[in-house]
Amino acid sequence: MASVNITIDDKKIVAQTGQTIYEAATAVGIDIPHLCHHPALPPEGACRMCLVEVEKQRVLQPACTFPVTEGMVVHTESPKVVEARKFVLQLLFSERNHFCMYCQMSGDCELQDLAYRYNLDHWIYNRPYPDFPVDSSREYFVMDHNRCILCRRCIRACADLVGNYTLGLKNRGAATMITADNDVPFGDSTCISCGTCLSVCPTGALMDRKSAYLGREVEVEHIKSTCTACSVGCGLDLITKDNHVLRIEADWDAKPNRGLLCEKGRFEPLWDSRKRAILPMIKRNGKWRKADWEEALDLMALKLGETKGAVAGLASGQATNESLALLAKMLREGLDSRHLAMLSGSLAEPSEDCDLTELDLVDFFVVVGADLTENHQVVGFTVKRKTTKRTARLALISEGENGLAAYAMREWGPDEVDKAIEMAVSAENPAVIYGMEASKETLRQLHEALDGKAPFVGLTPAANARGAAAAGFNGSLNGSAKGLYILACEEKEIPSDVLARAKAADFVAVQASYLEPWADIADVILPSPVSFEKQGTIINNEGRTLKITAAVKTSLKSEGEVLENLIQRLGL
Amino acid sequence: MAKVKIATDWLDVCSGCHMSLLDIDERIVALAKLVEFTSSPVTDLKHPPEDGVTVGILTGAVSNNHQEETAKEMRERCKILISLGDCAVFGGICAMRNLFDTEEVLRRGYVETESTAPGQEIPRSEEIGKLFDRVKAVNEVVKVDVHIPGCPPPADAIWFALTELLAGRIPVLTGDNLTYE
Repeated sequence: MASVNITIDDKKIVAQTGQTIYEAATAVGIDIPHLCHHPALPPEGACRMCLVEVEKQRVLQPACTFPVTEGMVVHTESPKVVEARKFVLQLLFSERNHFCMYCQMSGDCELQDLAYRYNLDHWIYNRPYPDFPVDSSREYFVMDHNRCILCRRCIRACADLVGNYTLGLKNRGAATMITADNDVPFGDSTCISCGTCLSVCPTGALMDRKSAYLGREVEVEHIKSTCTACSVGCGLDLITKDNHVLRIEADWDAKPNRGLLCEKGRFEPLWDSRKRAILPMIKRNGKWRKADWEEALDLMALKLGETKGAVAGLASGQATNESLALLAKMLREGLDSRHLAMLSGSLAEPSEDCDLTELDLVDFFVVVGADLTENHQVVGFTVKRKTTKRTARLALISEGENGLAAYAMREWGPDEVDKAIEMAVSAENPAVIYGMEASKETLRQLHEALDGKAPFVGLTPAANARGAAAAGFNGSLNGSAKGLYILACEEKEIPSDVLARAKAADFVAVQASYLEPWADIADVILPSPVSFEKQGTIINNEGRTLKITAAVKTSLKSEGEVLENLIQRLGL
Repeated sequence: MAKVKIATDWLDVCSGCHMSLLDIDERIVALAKLVEFTSSPVTDLKHPPEDGVTVGILTGAVSNNHQEETAKEMRERCKILISLGDCAVFGGICAMRNLFDTEEVLRRGYVETESTAPGQEIPRSEEIGKLFDRVKAVNEVVKVDVHIPGCPPPADAIWFALTELLAGRIPVLTGDNLTYE
């Protein structure tokens, strides 16, 4: 890239060819106002707020799309520019419902901020009050077309970041509207509820149902943490107020997700309607009763002690490294257990260390035994984004239905893996992404052909599967276990093999955040904090150690505290 | 120097903007030394003096024919007209009903509200103002010289605007004085 010398607001700047005026100005701290532009999205030039005066240009030019050239002289706040921006604001405010006083985004709205910046104290045009609907057909957030300024950020987020292409425009002129698919309600569309559009909307057009009207930017705190919904380990920005998590947002600066999240990470944790475990519960003769901690811990120590030598331990992949270490100590040293396993199973072979952001450079994906539209969706977004932009091809090796099938050039069964290999070896930068259903044999064939050429990215459902394996939770469940200790965290399902073993066991102790689905099989349930209430580390499938930060305080004992109490009672 | 005469009135309004005017607190004593409040919704004099005032202040949106007359009378009798508050400046909360049909709004308000006893009708007396199909901001009906938005406008913004006018300048609201909420 060659350098070009330009002048912005009398400041001499060395910019790079290919940069836009907006990029060159932002790099030296000159703030050019914008609405449709977003740093994570490709430039659009739709809103005209970033208009600047470029000498020798006949008319004002949008800074977000106009490339810099040698000797260019730009004025970003000249009287002509300010007048044009005020005019644009007048038009935007006059068009639909932009009354701030009853809008949930008031105070955090980019449109409002600009009106303040340019001292807009009244509107000069009569308002048409067009008849636009409010679409509340989606579970987690609402679209109010009356507050939409047609910046198209949501459309670009859906297409260019997520690769989902649900959103588009319909009608023309003042009747233009954001629409989904072939004009169906958002809730009935191909929307996957990842919420990326919600996170980039500059106005109150998209509104999060949970956090609406509960707190503005100045009233809330931001706490960085890590998602434990799967092993991608996305960076989170937890929005909290008064010891409550109002909303989960993605951390735009965090690897590997860089601002993206899926439904499981962004919405499901706060929408979990299961009953929380608040107090220790003991089951006697089929009936549950509340107990105090002393009684429950004493009982557990006694019962587990009785089954010493025949105890198996199961850990959720949502448990932190710190808890897992304590659990392993308790099981091995306190209870002579040799059966430490993961609740959610493991891969045929562990993932190698990798950098998921490097999947951006891949030109041929081999996805084996994984549905990236179900789990590990953020990795799926990369595959969808790249295949739809035709910068990569996808060979899918799977049995049964797979959400990525529409993005794949070919779909093969596990017995035809050689065909995928044939194509992958001729690609420049192939990558293998495999999941739970990938067999050892399939992986062996792929390794044989692609080792050294392609990274092998293994995706386990459990967030901290690598940490669990490191702590020793990589065995299988022993059929003769009389006692079972399950560190369940927020797990939603009991795997069928665990269910069978639990029913056969004499005593089942569960440490869980929710009573469901454990009430049927457990003899004691100890309450446990959820992910945003606990502190610790996990190791994601890239092999990086990531921090889980408690965003809110809880009166519940931490996973570790409970385990330490038990260890003490077992006489260690 | 003779005191500057001020008249105020409210249109379609919750009266919060007049409350905000009172919120200038003890500064109202200083203000009273410089200005004479003539008509207002809370004084005996309801209409601005026929010989006119220097500053007229209107709060609220224009929703019916009575309010339109009030706005026009104020405009005729004052030199400088101030639109005070979001409803006067933009239409505000009152303009929410522009998203619905007027008959629908009346039915909801007088007949269908949960607290309304069954069998009620929409009042249609000639004496009550007739609702316009669309709520308007004051500047959609008459020329406005100074706009002070806010729901309600901060007392400081009102104080700033009045003192600027007294100093012979047209106020330009910036910073915390300019708000839409």
